[in-house]
Amino acid sequence: MLFNSLTFVVFFVIVLTLYWTLRSWEARKNLLLAASYLFYGTWNPPFALLLFATTALDFWLGARIAAARTPGQRKAWLIASLTSNLSMLGFFKYGNFLLENTKALLALAGIAYQPPHLDLFLPIGISFYTFHSLSYTLDVYRGTTQPTRSLRDFTLAVSFFPQLVAGPIVRAVDFLPQAAQPPKPDSSRFIWGLLLMTLGLFEKTVLADTMLASAAESVFSYHGPLASLDAWTGVLAFSGQIFFDFAGYSTCAIGAALTLGFHLRDNFRFPYAAVGFSDFWRRWHISLSTFLRDYLYIPLGGNRAGAVKAALNLMIVMFIGGLWHGAAWTFVVWGVIHGLMLVLERVLRHIFKDAAWTDRLGVQVLLGLGTYAVVCLAWVFFRAPDFGSAMRIVMAMVGRLPIAGDAILPTREILQVMIVTAGLLAAHWLLRKTSMEAVVARTPRWAVTAVWSVMLFSIILTQGNGNAFIYFQF
Amino acid sequence: MHSSTSNSEFDLTTAPAPLPSPNARRRPAPRAAQSDLDFTRVIPALPWKGIVAATALLTLAATVAWEINARTHGYAPSLNDTPDLWAEQRNRVEPNSIVLVGTSRMLFNADLDVLEEALGQRPVQLALAGSSPFPVLADLAQDPSFHGTLILDIVPAMFLAPAGSPPMAVSQKALRRRDEWNYSQKWSHRMGMDLEEHVAFLKQEDLSLAQLLKQLPIPNRANAQVGPPLPPYFYTVDRDRRGRMVEQAAILGSPLQQRVAHGWLPLFTMPPPPSFIPPEQFGKMMGEAIEQRFKDTAQHIATLRARGVKIVFVRMPVQGPLVQKEEAIVPLAFGWGRLVQENGVPAIDTNTVPELNSFILPEWSHLSAPDSVEFTKRLVPHLQRALGAVEVPAAANAAAPRPTSG
Repeated sequence: MLFNSLTFVVFFVIVLTLYWTLRSWEARKNLLLAASYLFYGTWNPPFALLLFATTALDFWLGARIAAARTPGQRKAWLIASLTSNLSMLGFFKYGNFLLENTKALLALAGIAYQPPHLDLFLPIGISFYTFHSLSYTLDVYRGTTQPTRSLRDFTLAVSFFPQLVAGPIVRAVDFLPQAAQPPKPDSSRFIWGLLLMTLGLFEKTVLADTMLASAAESVFSYHGPLASLDAWTGVLAFSGQIFFDFAGYSTCAIGAALTLGFHLRDNFRFPYAAVGFSDFWRRWHISLSTFLRDYLYIPLGGNRAGAVKAALNLMIVMFIGGLWHGAAWTFVVWGVIHGLMLVLERVLRHIFKDAAWTDRLGVQVLLGLGTYAVVCLAWVFFRAPDFGSAMRIVMAMVGRLPIAGDAILPTREILQVMIVTAGLLAAHWLLRKTSMEAVVARTPRWAVTAVWSVMLFSIILTQGNGNAFIYFQF
Repeated sequence: MHSSTSNSEFDLTTAPAPLPSPNARRRPAPRAAQSDLDFTRVIPALPWKGIVAATALLTLAATVAWEINARTHGYAPSLNDTPDLWAEQRNRVEPNSIVLVGTSRMLFNADLDVLEEALGQRPVQLALAGSSPFPVLADLAQDPSFHGTLILDIVPAMFLAPAGSPPMAVSQKALRRRDEWNYSQKWSHRMGMDLEEHVAFLKQEDLSLAQLLKQLPIPNRANAQVGPPLPPYFYTVDRDRRGRMVEQAAILGSPLQQRVAHGWLPLFTMPPPPSFIPPEQFGKMMGEAIEQRFKDTAQHIATLRARGVKIVFVRMPVQGPLVQKEEAIVPLAFGWGRLVQENGVPAIDTNTVPELNSFILPEWSHLSAPDSVEFTKRLVPHLQRALGAVEVPAAANAAAPRPTSG
């Protein structure tokens, strides 16, 4: 179920009431587990079985890894976990993509091959829960955690409903210790959790869906040449939409978990105020970037084998990061653009490492705006349905269309996008060296009340159109 | 921070440490014996109980004020005509159902109570406002369990609307909802209906934040290719999707009636061809698409008839400037005439039947709620005759009713 649905409101009220009424910690965890599977099963009940199968297998494999007596055995059990998880992900998410690309490759060799089209439903959130589960066997293998003896606790760690389908990617090592003992009731934590949920829903329903989605959809689905203003507006709209949509989900998840006494890490830290791409990835989808760092980049050798190998490793990581988002080459191009920018940044840092002028405010702001511009450019490939559409939009943005582009957006939508984008960038720059908690702590109580009320009333005004979160498809 | 990061300058992912807050309390999280991570969230130190109480009161006050405002402006509690409501009706279609398919004219003009009494069972209302009914026709043709009765309202300009156009999108959105409808959406829909039946401001097509923003009087660029606005809220639906024009819209000369009536004119005006396709090529593409639509329609009708489905085409009343507008987009003889003749199904053009074309359509396109009851009563004998008629093969189209100008 969606956070922005009436079903979730009722579900959440019932779960919260029962959770804080039950005295036994074991009973509360059983309740959360049942609630999480109900939360997931309302999309497609059979896929809950797939979720459980993945979880149970990794639970068993984690125990086998820990019990293995030789490094070879440990590695073999880890490979079994990697194979089972990634093949499941590959089958559902990349099956048709692989077949189509095999067809294209064979065609290059002059071999005509017509693959069957696999009529598959992508289990919602499979990319997220696969990583939740996989982190456990990887951490047991690395010796950074001991295997849990409780299948129930591990199943809850993987399926905990606030973060189940669209992150943050919560590692078992972060969650399992919190399942060891019950949190004490705390009204401040509970209410702060509710405020975070309101903020997340406001970002999703008001800012992403109401203010920005229409312009982005119009521009990215248009088949003709676009006026430069419209192309830029559509790209800025998507840039804001994907932030508010995804960060909104993460904020809801963090808030919902807090109301239940669980602490989840930040997944976003004002990313559009990033100066450079390494800074961007410290601020955007942090749970994915740290996952890729710990379980891919470092095992590949990180930067230990010299600059060239480090650059290659970065490109591999971002290639896979792009592909994680979706089975299409456009996502790969998005990842490769980020990889190239990371490599370029390392080169520039090496060249200008002693240049004090790079720390000046004006330079930082310019670099930040430059980073944002390239991030937006990369979003074109992320959002566009194909390369033709992406190139049409890029050409329109740089004013290189052979004919005059069409003005397709109402002035009102352009104004909406510009106002929200300006507010988004200003907020990120103002908050880039602090945290929301710190800002709220020094805000007068009447202002917190007013802002919270406005957000709630705005959410009511949107009348809950129930649009799915963008990251559900990943 | 994770110890394994120490081998790395992989600074793209080195998360900064949690930022300290002078006024924030740090709450101890349960510590893990194995975990070296500490992600206890900071809770800002504020009087939260007072804040949440004040927020609840303010939000409640604003909501009540907004409800009063909506009722003052003529809105009353009624259901939103959403894809969910349509999907629910689609799921009610049984093998022998009588199904109404079409545009808003079928939705407004066909009274379900009258039809139920006359035809022996309550029809399922699948007509969609602003839609091309073609995708719904195709959906029923592809449903092997359906072999009942299909009453299809045809507005040629809407029925023949090309793929990708708004009328096609309306039907496809509803069908997609039905195909992908999950338990959560069904439960939300049912709870939403209970709310909508009591709260007047829950009008997604008129009073949602997105719609309110659209009403801002901001002029567009001179060269902007922006579609005309849709008419305002002027009808209600019940749980069976029986549509009724609201009273104010039926009063000739009322502001709402004027807004709705004049709203149709730009909507029934052919948009300019796209700038990026040469006009001749575009005209050829449209011509081919329309021919294909005729062929696909014939195929679906044949499939349905082969299963024993009884089919009647109905052309609902239309008046005033809309007659010329529709004729300019798709001439009657070309659209309605070909559909009737090529498919050889019984057809009723209500515009040519004296007892059916004598009603005043307040906004030229739909009947008022009281008139829709009387209209349906008068339509029933024609429907009964058509449904009882022996259907003729398409080739023998001379036997089919001849279209006449409305």
